[in-house]
Amino acid sequence: MQEYLGGGRLFRLCLKELRESLRDRRTLFTLVLMPILVYPLLSMAMQRLVIGAGSRSAGGPVEYIVGAGDEDGARVVASVLRETARAVNDGVPPAIEIRRQGASSEEKSTTGDKSTMAEGGTGFTADAFRIGEDVAFSIVIPERGSIQDALRVGNVDLAVTRAKREQVLPDGTMGLEYDLEMEFREGDTRSEGAMLEFRKAMQLVNDMQSLRLRSRFLPRVGGEIVGPTVQLVSFGTGKRGDVFGALSGILPLILILMTITGAVYPAIDLTAGERERGTMEAMIATPAPRFVLLLSKYVAVVTVAILTAVANLFASWLTLSLGGLGRALLGEKGLSISVLVQIFPLLVIFAAFFSAILLAMCSYARSFKEAQAYLIPVMLVSLAPGLLVLMPGIEFTTLLGIVPLVNILLLSRDIMTGSPAVLPAFAAVFTTLLYAVAALVVAARLFGGESATAGSQETWSDLFRRPRVERSAPDLGELAVYFALLFPVFFIITNLLGSWVEGIRERLWMNAAVLLALFFLVPTLVAWYRRLRMREVFLLRDWWGRGIGSEGRGVLGGVGVLLGVLFLGVGLWVVAYEVVKIFAEIGIGPIDLERTEELERAKNEFARIPLWLVWLTSALVPAFAEEYFFRGYVLSAFRGRVSRVRAVVFSGLIFGLFHVVSGSHLTLERFMPTVLLGVFLGWVAIRTGSLWPGVFLHAIHNGLLFWLTRFSPRELAQWFGEDNEHFPAIWIVASLVSVGLGVLLIFYSTAKRFDENTP
Amino acid sequence: MIVATELRKEFQVRGSSLVAVDGVSFRVGNGEVYGLLGPNGAGKTTTLRMVMGLLEPDGGYVEIGGVRTDVDRNGIRHQLGLISTNDGVYPWLSVREMLLYFADLYAVEPKIAKDRLGELAGLLGIGGILDQRCSTLSTGQKQRVTLARGLMHDPPVMLLDEPTRGLDVVGSQTVFEFIEILKGRGKSVLLSTHRLDEAERVCDRFGLLHHGTMRYEGTLGDLREQTGREHLVDMFIALIREREVG
Repeated sequence: MQEYLGGGRLFRLCLKELRESLRDRRTLFTLVLMPILVYPLLSMAMQRLVIGAGSRSAGGPVEYIVGAGDEDGARVVASVLRETARAVNDGVPPAIEIRRQGASSEEKSTTGDKSTMAEGGTGFTADAFRIGEDVAFSIVIPERGSIQDALRVGNVDLAVTRAKREQVLPDGTMGLEYDLEMEFREGDTRSEGAMLEFRKAMQLVNDMQSLRLRSRFLPRVGGEIVGPTVQLVSFGTGKRGDVFGALSGILPLILILMTITGAVYPAIDLTAGERERGTMEAMIATPAPRFVLLLSKYVAVVTVAILTAVANLFASWLTLSLGGLGRALLGEKGLSISVLVQIFPLLVIFAAFFSAILLAMCSYARSFKEAQAYLIPVMLVSLAPGLLVLMPGIEFTTLLGIVPLVNILLLSRDIMTGSPAVLPAFAAVFTTLLYAVAALVVAARLFGGESATAGSQETWSDLFRRPRVERSAPDLGELAVYFALLFPVFFIITNLLGSWVEGIRERLWMNAAVLLALFFLVPTLVAWYRRLRMREVFLLRDWWGRGIGSEGRGVLGGVGVLLGVLFLGVGLWVVAYEVVKIFAEIGIGPIDLERTEELERAKNEFARIPLWLVWLTSALVPAFAEEYFFRGYVLSAFRGRVSRVRAVVFSGLIFGLFHVVSGSHLTLERFMPTVLLGVFLGWVAIRTGSLWPGVFLHAIHNGLLFWLTRFSPRELAQWFGEDNEHFPAIWIVASLVSVGLGVLLIFYSTAKRFDENTP
Repeated sequence: MIVATELRKEFQVRGSSLVAVDGVSFRVGNGEVYGLLGPNGAGKTTTLRMVMGLLEPDGGYVEIGGVRTDVDRNGIRHQLGLISTNDGVYPWLSVREMLLYFADLYAVEPKIAKDRLGELAGLLGIGGILDQRCSTLSTGQKQRVTLARGLMHDPPVMLLDEPTRGLDVVGSQTVFEFIEILKGRGKSVLLSTHRLDEAERVCDRFGLLHHGTMRYEGTLGDLREQTGREHLVDMFIALIREREVG
C-alpha cells in the first residue's frame, strides 16, 4: 500500500482521473454551461414570484401592515406616523412623502378592502400612511387571538407590543415622547422590510423634532431636553414561514442539486465507463490496491463536484446581486460574500458525501446505461427531502441534523437567513462525513467486482455476511460502517433521553442502560456474528501476565499496574480540568453561562441521589461499557493496521468526539480533556493487553468527578483555594507527579509484554 | 516460470453448479510460449484468471516464479502482464499519459518508466503518436499501445488472452512479432486462443482444453504422436467428434 500512497504516486493517479474527467465535453457542459443558463432563468422566474408576493397591491406601493394590540396602541402608532407626515410637510428630507389614506384610527372606521388580511380577526380599524412612492403603512387591530399570533401567521407584518405616548413639554405635539416596542418575523423578508421602513420613518421624526426643539428651546434650556423623541425597540421572533422564508430554502437546494449534477457524469465515467471502454480488467489486474484506485477516482469526482459548486456559487451570487433578487429572497444583506464563504465548506462536505454515494452506486453498474438507470431514482429520492426543506415552518432540529441531505440543506438555509443552531449543525457536518466514509468503504468493495468476479477480493456483502473464518480484529471498513450506523442512533437516543425520561434517577438508570446496550451488547453481538475472537478484540484477559501465554511480570507486575492506574486516576482529572480551562482561555470550547447554570441545577439535583447510585450508573457502567467499545472494538480495528501511537491517538479522538454530544447540548469543551483521557486509556490498554486496568482507571476518574459535585463551592474553595479559574499550583504539581508516577509504574510493571504477543 | 497444478473451478449457475475447469495442470518455462487451446467455453479464460489471481481456484494452485498466487496475490501481479481481447484505451488521455499511468499502477519508478516508454515506443513503432489522444488512434495503433501497456512493468510472465480476435492479417502479424520479442527476452508466455493455425506458428508447447479438462499436452510432435493427426485443427475436430459420439 505504501508504494502507492507515497512519492507523489497517489497524486499522479488522481491527476489521471481528473484529466480524463475535465477533458470530457460532457463534464465541461455541466461545469460551465449549466450555471450560466440556470441562474438567469431562475432569476427571471423568481423575480415574478417575489414581485407578486412582495407587493400585495400590484402597481402601487408596498403596503405594510402594522398590528396593534388595542385601540390605544393603534392610536399611538397613528399619531407617530402623523408626526412623520408633519416632518415631511416642514420640508426636511424631501425623499419621503407621506400621504394619509383611508379613515383615521380615531374615527374607528372599518375599511372593507383590507378584510382579506384580517383572518386573525374581523373588522379591524385601519389607517394607511403612504411614505414616498414605495411604502405605505396601515394599522390594524386583530380582533381574535393575540397580536403575536397575527404576526406569526403573517396577518400583520409588524406587531406593536408596547406603545406609550407622553406629553413632556406643555406645547402641543411638540413635546410628545413615544416609547414603542415592536416585533417582526426574523428571516422573513417582508416583515424585516416593514421593520426597516418603520425604523426609517421614526428616525425621521426624531431628526425633525430635535431640529425644531433646538431652534426653539435652545436659548432657554440648553441641549438637555433634546433627546430622541421616539424610543423604538424591536425584536425578531425567529419565526419564518411565509413564502419568502420558503424561497430562501430554494437556493441551497439548487446549489446542492447542481453540485450533484456536476459529480454524476465523472462518477459514471470513471467506474462504469472503465468497464465499457475495456480498461477495467487491465486496471484491476495490476497490483494497485482497489482502495487506492477508488480513492483516486473519488478525489477526481469530488474535485469536479467542488469546481461545479464554485461555478454555481459564483453564478448565483452574480445573478442575485445584479438583479436585486438576493435582497428580496434573503433580506437586507442579500447574498453576501461572507454567506458564500460559509456555504462553500458545506457544499464541499456535501460533495464529499454524495460523490461517495455516486461512486458506490456506479461501481455496482456494469455499463453506462445501467449506472444511469441507478442514478435517476437516486436523484429523484434526493429531490424529495429537498422539497421538504422548502415547506414553510420546517425547523432545523437536532433530529433532522442526522438525516443525510436534509441536514445540509437546512444548515445552508439557516446560514443564509440567520444563525443556525450549533448542535444540529455539528450533527449535520459530522454525520455527513461519517456517511461519506462508509459509502466509500462500500464503493471500494464494489469497485471492479464484476470483472474480477467473486472470490478474488472482498466484496461489499462481506461487510454484512458472516465470515467463514475467525478473525482477531475487525477491519477498518467494518469500523467505518459500524460508526455510520451507531453514531446517528447514539445521537438520537442521547437527545431524546432528556425528553422521554422525567426524574433524574430514572435518567441515570436509562443512561446506564443505553451505554450498556450500544457499547457492550451491540458490539458483542456484532463481534459474535462477524466471528471475531472476543478475547483478543475486547482484551478480555488478566493483566498480571498469565494471559496469552506470556510470563509477564507475575502478580507483582499486576499489583504495579493497579497502583499505577490508581496514581493516574487520582492525578488525571486535575490535568483534564486544567486542559479545559486553558482551552477556554484561548477561546476553544468556552462554557457558556446558560449551561453553567444548568450544570449547577443538575449538580443540586445530583446531590439528593445516593452516592452508590451515581457511582454505579455514572462511573462504573460507563467505565466498563466505554472501555469495552473504545479500547476493545475501536482500538483493535486500528491495531496492526497503523502504528501503535496512531492507533491510540485515533481511538482517543473518536472517544472524544462521542463525548462532545451530551444530552441536547454540544459540549465542545469536553473534547480535549476526553481525548487526553482516551489517549491515556488507550496506552494503558496497549501496555497491559487487558481491558480491566482501563476500566479501573476510567471508573476512578469518573467516580472522583462525581464525588466532587457533592460539595458546595464553599467547601471546595477550602480545599482548592479561592481562585475559581485554576487549581492552586501545588495541586497541579502534585497531580502531574501522580500522573508521572502512574505512567512509570505501569511502564515498568508491563515491560513489553503486550508487544511480544500482539503485533 | 508458471506452474499450474490440478486447477479446479466451479461456478453456481441458476442453482446448479458448473465445473468450468477440472484438474488442469501445466507448466511454462522461461522463454517458452505455451498455447492454451480450445473451443469457446473450454475453460481457457477461467484458467487464465486463476493464473492471474483474479479468481480463486476451488482446488489446486498456481505458482509464478516459485511463489503461490494465493500466498502473495499482490506481489504476484508485479510479475504478470496481461493483454486481453477486450482491452481498451482511455480516449481522453494521450498515449504517453496512459502508458505512464499503468507504470504507476505497477509501482514502477517514474524515471525507469520514462526510459521504458522510450524503449517500447521504438520497439512497437508508436514513437510518433505518443502525444496523441487515444481517441484519435486507428485500430492498429490502439493495438500497439495495448501491447506496450502490457510491458510497461517488464513482467517475466505474460498472459495473452485471445490477442488476435477481431484483428486483420497485419494486426495479427504485429501480435506474432510481439510474441517473438517476448520470447527473445526470456519471458514465459501463456497464450490462450481458439485460432489453432496461429498457435501452430508461435507456440512451443500446447495444452488442448475441452469441457474444462486437459485432453492433450506437449509439443506439436508429442501431440501428433498422441493423436495420429498432422495439424491441430484436425486434432481438435477429432476431439470434439469423439466427445460427441462418446
